Amino acid sequence: MHELGVISAMVKTIEEIIKEQGYTEVHKLVLEVGELSGIVPHYMEVCYPAAVYKTFMENSVLEMETIPGIVRCKDCGKEFNATAHDFTCPQCESHNMEILSGNDVMIKEIQCT
Amino acid sequence: MEAYKVLEVKQSVFDSNDKEAQQLREQLKKDGVFLLNLMSSPGSGKTTTLKRTIAALRDEMKIGVMEADIDSDVDAKAISETGAKAIQLHTGGMCHLDAAMTKQGLEGLGTEDVDFAILENVGNLVCPAEFDTGAIKNAMILSVPEGHDKPLKYPLMFSIVDVVLVNKIDVLPYFDFDMDKCREYVHMRNPKAEVIPISARTGEGMDAWYNWLRTEIKAFKENQ
Repeated sequence: MHELGVISAMVKTIEEIIKEQGYTEVHKLVLEVGELSGIVPHYMEVCYPAAVYKTFMENSVLEMETIPGIVRCKDCGKEFNATAHDFTCPQCESHNMEILSGNDVMIKEIQCT
Repeated sequence: MEAYKVLEVKQSVFDSNDKEAQQLREQLKKDGVFLLNLMSSPGSGKTTTLKRTIAALRDEMKIGVMEADIDSDVDAKAISETGAKAIQLHTGGMCHLDAAMTKQGLEGLGTEDVDFAILENVGNLVCPAEFDTGAIKNAMILSVPEGHDKPLKYPLMFSIVDVVLVNKIDVLPYFDFDMDKCREYVHMRNPKAEVIPISARTGEGMDAWYNWLRTEIKAFKENQ
């Protein structure tokens, strides 16, 4: 359950952000979850209530937006969705690629008071 | 009705840990402690590799080891038999170590008489790659029975390490492991990573690994 550790790390990051701005409670959180980040949105939802239990985020709602995992083939230059093509270039079958998007888990928006 | 404030953030969820890791790295530089974060799958030979490494280098430098596991202290016992300072860290079920836990571990170990500290991370190729521990260099062990395609399957791990030790080369004849393909896949993910084939059991290739460590530690000390 690797998502639990990720949320715990995130709670610390969010605490710093809202404290700095003078807020104390989070009501809604919007995350951008990259398809190549290794984070499974379903498991995020499952362990979220446990991970934020008895924190300033206890009563918050989690919303997630998926960022597609787009890569560029380093051999032929083709840009494609890595998960849809199983990390293989549909044009030249190379595995040699650089990630353009979808590698991160980003905090997009925090609704707080 | 309460007024909600919407903060537009665009910040990584790992931001807080990344900052703590950076602070720890600065502190290590000040104290002259070279911290190596050693990662791998369970059973790849981390503890055997460490035991041999300690035996080879203990006359040149003062070594301290932090063994991280979910439970038990079998690894710390094995390491302390080599004469090196060792402590066991229990992650309490967590699959990785973060910068705060690493800092606590270093405090527990006591670094005033250590110039080379090794963190043996939890055996796992996923989570430890996401959490910067604050280490000066990151190393991983990939063992022959795991297969040469691992860099394709665990891209993040291979993209963050400085050196990949390919262990158990003494059993190469019994596996379909292609060393050239392995190098090629590692370098696809990370052109800068050094790949060193070793056998921690027979000692083959270990000199190249010791020399890598000597060079890195020397460069670190000179840049202090």
